[in-house]
Amino acid sequence: MNENLAERLNELPDLLSGHVLLSLSAILVGLAISLPLGVFAAPRKRFAAAVLNIAGVIQTIPGLALLALMVPLLGGTIGYAPAFMALMLYSILPILRNTVVGLQGVEPGVVEAARGLGLTQKQRLWQIELPLALPVIVAGVRTSIVWVVGAATLATPVGAPSLGNYIFAGLQTRNWLSVLFGCLFAAGLAVVLDQLIRLLEVAARDRRKMLAVQVGALLSALVVASVLPRFVEFTPPAQPQISQQFASVRAEEGALDDEIVRLGAKAFTEQYILAELMEQVLVDAGAEVERLDNLGSIIAFDALRNNEIDAYIDYTGTIWATVMARDEPINRHAMFVEMAAYLREEHGILTLGRMGFENAYGFAMRADQAEALGIRSLADLAVHAGALEVGGDAEVFTRSEWINTRDAYGLGAISTRAMDATFMYDAVRDGQVDVISAYTTDGRIAAYDLVVLADPRGILPPYDAVILLSPEAAERPGLADALAGLVGSISDDDMREANRLADLERQTPQQAASWLYEQVTE
Amino acid sequence: MSNSGKPVLELRGVSKQYSGGVKAVREVSLSLGEGKLLALTGTSGCGKTTLLKLINRLEEPSGGSVVYEGADVRQFDAFRLRRQIGWVMQGDGLFPHFTVRQNIAVVPRLLEWDIATTELCVRKMMQLVQLDVEEFGGRYPHELSGGQRQRVGFARALAGKPDLVLMDEAFSALDPLTRDDLQRDFKRLQSELGFSAVLVTHDMAEALILADEIAVMRDGQIVQSGTPSQLLAAPADDYVSGLLDTPRRQMRAIAELGG
Repeated sequence: MNENLAERLNELPDLLSGHVLLSLSAILVGLAISLPLGVFAAPRKRFAAAVLNIAGVIQTIPGLALLALMVPLLGGTIGYAPAFMALMLYSILPILRNTVVGLQGVEPGVVEAARGLGLTQKQRLWQIELPLALPVIVAGVRTSIVWVVGAATLATPVGAPSLGNYIFAGLQTRNWLSVLFGCLFAAGLAVVLDQLIRLLEVAARDRRKMLAVQVGALLSALVVASVLPRFVEFTPPAQPQISQQFASVRAEEGALDDEIVRLGAKAFTEQYILAELMEQVLVDAGAEVERLDNLGSIIAFDALRNNEIDAYIDYTGTIWATVMARDEPINRHAMFVEMAAYLREEHGILTLGRMGFENAYGFAMRADQAEALGIRSLADLAVHAGALEVGGDAEVFTRSEWINTRDAYGLGAISTRAMDATFMYDAVRDGQVDVISAYTTDGRIAAYDLVVLADPRGILPPYDAVILLSPEAAERPGLADALAGLVGSISDDDMREANRLADLERQTPQQAASWLYEQVTE
Repeated sequence: MSNSGKPVLELRGVSKQYSGGVKAVREVSLSLGEGKLLALTGTSGCGKTTLLKLINRLEEPSGGSVVYEGADVRQFDAFRLRRQIGWVMQGDGLFPHFTVRQNIAVVPRLLEWDIATTELCVRKMMQLVQLDVEEFGGRYPHELSGGQRQRVGFARALAGKPDLVLMDEAFSALDPLTRDDLQRDFKRLQSELGFSAVLVTHDMAEALILADEIAVMRDGQIVQSGTPSQLLAAPADDYVSGLLDTPRRQMRAIAELGG
């Protein structure tokens, strides 16, 4: 745990800086849009109603969905841009609404007095209306800050580093300390910014220049402190050194000297371990590695297609269903060949090869319960379908493999329950659900004494792990050479064990990857 | 119409028709002599406030012309015109985020007077309306009584040294004692400073006490205009005598009590 905490703290400057810059830039631009818009809209009742409605609709889109939607809207760009756009849109409503309400709420008698005394429209706005509406506007800005700083944790899945990295990674690896860490820092940041703005308002209202200067200095210090980690190199924590001489997997040392390689990873344990493994291989070859973890499934693929990441690991069945939109059954080897050809022709993506193991969807249940009910394969489930509940991640029940399995084995009567993948193994172990759509490489299958039900009709598609290189990375022979050693190097058992180390033995993905590295270099 | 000297203000066949077609003011002609007070009175919705706003171009006439100091008001820049003419409104209309000093200094600041002149002016105005500079200068409107606020309202209107002051129900929101006080102070101020004034009021008694000249309005038209004694002696019709009845009855009742 202590080592874990130290590692978490190591990442803090980068994540906090990403979070602050993302939130503040979104709010500042949001402010620059919503304030003038509010001033323009306030005296125009119909226009005001229209823009408030539009902003209101944006606000009702769940934060995660809005962030994810920005990726295709920006042509597949990941990282700062889509996160910024979504949060900026998110920040508009509270400021806009409060500006309109604040200005409309200025007593008409006061405005008329200002007209009667000969103030021009501009003088009325700056000297009378805005100062009187200020408390309401500031309240809007504060609401906006709290929302945006909170929602910025959702920037992680679209590839923008934020305190959400702690939360998402922690959720996947069941590291609750990490989740708590992310929440506390995000909440703390929101409170600090909120209070700074409140003090600015007090300073403006009471004309306390000193206070304004102090708060301004604090805000600037926060921004400088956030920008700094972008330019200052932090010494990275020492990489675990593996000193075996078996060079088949290890790339030639120095082959990638000073080349920058950007690696992506989706948001689950196995992906962290594999990204870490690739990183160790590349670092040994002299490359400098940048990582984008916790990407959404499609977002990772889009990022690769657009050369925003150079390489990541995906699974044949996933590409088959989500990218190629195919759902007919096909054997494992044919699928790989067709997929590789398709990716090369359609997107210029190079499929370097299969890693050796398969991480398929399989339906698992407790061994003792399976035995008691006489269930060995999916076909045996039909009899008990009405009395059973299947748990699975949110994705699986919308996929054709579930729909095909259900239809092929007559499981229409079975009830389903979507939950985060992290929780489903414990849920089936504790009897909260009867069957889960397990990942076949998960270490908990053996550890929890679960059995994967046979699929006699071959409905479930194959999920070979494959190393994919972006169109640009495909043109870098050194990179392909360095990673080629990993092709065919990892067995199902090795992967399951590495996952178990991380998920159940509380090892970090780095440690699990180092263990895996040792296995493959032997 | 009895006039002494050249008129400060002349209304020549002024009309105001709103875009909805409502005729708020119909062909009104009036003139106001230097140092005089003209009261516009009549029941609610008779057009008296609209007429007042036509003078400093808070509203633009749809017919006729408003002549101020010999020139059509449309020849003035509207903002300059308003700074030149004093403006007092019902319920004071003070800026709640300005102190008393800042409220009074609004017009001098708009006229870009230097700081010393402005400060001198603020002090003088506060003395004129009988508010202690040290005690009240730094207070905000919500820290004042209704009467004190209205005094600041007058000080603010007079700070730019206007020769014409427009007042919209300036005394109406006050309790009777404060109102009486302020009305007398106002008369004194007017004779000291010599400005002319137009007062919109629905209170005939107030018009009779304060005005040199009263114009009674109904449906946007002048029904009768003249000095208070002319109106009392010969009301033009039932509407005017109706308006005069209330103060008359009250005077009679009070006279009877006094024996």
